Amino acid sequence: VTAPIESDIDIWDDAILIDPYPTYAALREQAAVVHLPKNDLYVLTRYDAIRDALGDPESFSSTSIGFNPMVNEALQGTSLASDPPVHTQLRAVLSQNLTPRALRGLKVTIDEKADKLVGELADSGSFEAIDSLARAFPIEIVADLIGFKGHVKDNMLRWGQAAMQVIGPLNQRTQESFPIAGELYGWCSSVTAEDLTPGSIGRGIFDAETRGEIPEGAAGHIIHQYLGAGVDTTIASIGNIVALFGRHAEQFDLVRANPELVPAAFAEVLRYWAPVHIWGRKATRDVEIDGVTIPAGAQVGILFGAGNRDPRHYENPDTFDVARNPVDHLSFGYGPHGCAGQGLAKLEAHAVIEALARRVQTLTVGDEVREPSNITRSIEKLQVEKVVAA
Amino acid sequence: MKIELDRPRCEGHGLCEEAAPKLMHLDDDGELVIDVPEVDGSELDTAKAAVRICPVAALRLAAA
Repeated sequence: VTAPIESDIDIWDDAILIDPYPTYAALREQAAVVHLPKNDLYVLTRYDAIRDALGDPESFSSTSIGFNPMVNEALQGTSLASDPPVHTQLRAVLSQNLTPRALRGLKVTIDEKADKLVGELADSGSFEAIDSLARAFPIEIVADLIGFKGHVKDNMLRWGQAAMQVIGPLNQRTQESFPIAGELYGWCSSVTAEDLTPGSIGRGIFDAETRGEIPEGAAGHIIHQYLGAGVDTTIASIGNIVALFGRHAEQFDLVRANPELVPAAFAEVLRYWAPVHIWGRKATRDVEIDGVTIPAGAQVGILFGAGNRDPRHYENPDTFDVARNPVDHLSFGYGPHGCAGQGLAKLEAHAVIEALARRVQTLTVGDEVREPSNITRSIEKLQVEKVVAA
Repeated sequence: MKIELDRPRCEGHGLCEEAAPKLMHLDDDGELVIDVPEVDGSELDTAKAAVRICPVAALRLAAA
């Protein structure tokens, strides 16, 4: 066993957050696990190491998914921050309304909404893609699904962004976001069935609580997780779809000519630009990976985007190729904590890609405007300077 | 080898069915049915692919 391999970077440095891929490549070439003393953190950089860790909750605990003690404390009792066997029960309640079988009935509505929205944008000549599509679409879908109305719907974007931001270390971004994340936390602690639309999934969770299927007070936690995990990440991936199709016109043409490529194209968008930059685990024992030891108790950071570009796993990993179909990409995580909302994310994103392929002939996009963000990597503004309707 | 399903963990994502349509399928309720539980030869590779692709690690291969 050799001494840990170190790098003196700050993984939350503004420039790295804006474009992490050169840093990911350098870290990945150093080792599968690299110690970052500045962040008091061991990062996993290669595909196999990341997947093995995600599949091994006994060695890599989720009690420290966040990078500051306050957020880990606040997440206690959620499935996100639990380990088996407690996790198994919490996860079952969280996911029962999100499984592909539960969502099957929503497909027609989601497809129609995407077609209408994208059709209007395609006819408009030019548009700003983040506010008018990447944010507008998932916020409407999730609000209708969970039953949010009024001021809650208006707050979904800032609450969802803050809920992810505070998972970072105690830097300025985290500190500025804590009061906003606190608003969400406060609302979720006091929300009642009557605050949610009758017939919604949110109402159904309160019904389950009334029936005693989940512990008293658990409904608010679950609604918190739907909002915290399901908004900012989906927004990122839909913005990335538009930006990558704009940058790679020949790839968009391939999807337009072959609509059966839609699921593969979304998998490639997720692989190429991971919506989540880093996610935490705690080593429960000394874990050796490729000769480097992560000491028991150490904070671990999983770099999904680094694993997704690992040339040991994907050929020409820095090429955006919609025909690649990388179904085993790491952007939804993997294993017991694998993204519970991936069925909904796919419904939404496939609907958007299908609508773009049907309604749009060409897209000319400006440069992506990005702002550094601790956990989610998403585009802040993206001007579609010219769109030609199909 | 035998294909084993951790039923409570399965959420019906259906990627296994895409990888190994001759070995397993989702029924009308979205529940996974293992049609060919014991596999060898070329079917073993297909089964391995299905196990590998499960996003929530609900499938595994065990000695028959």
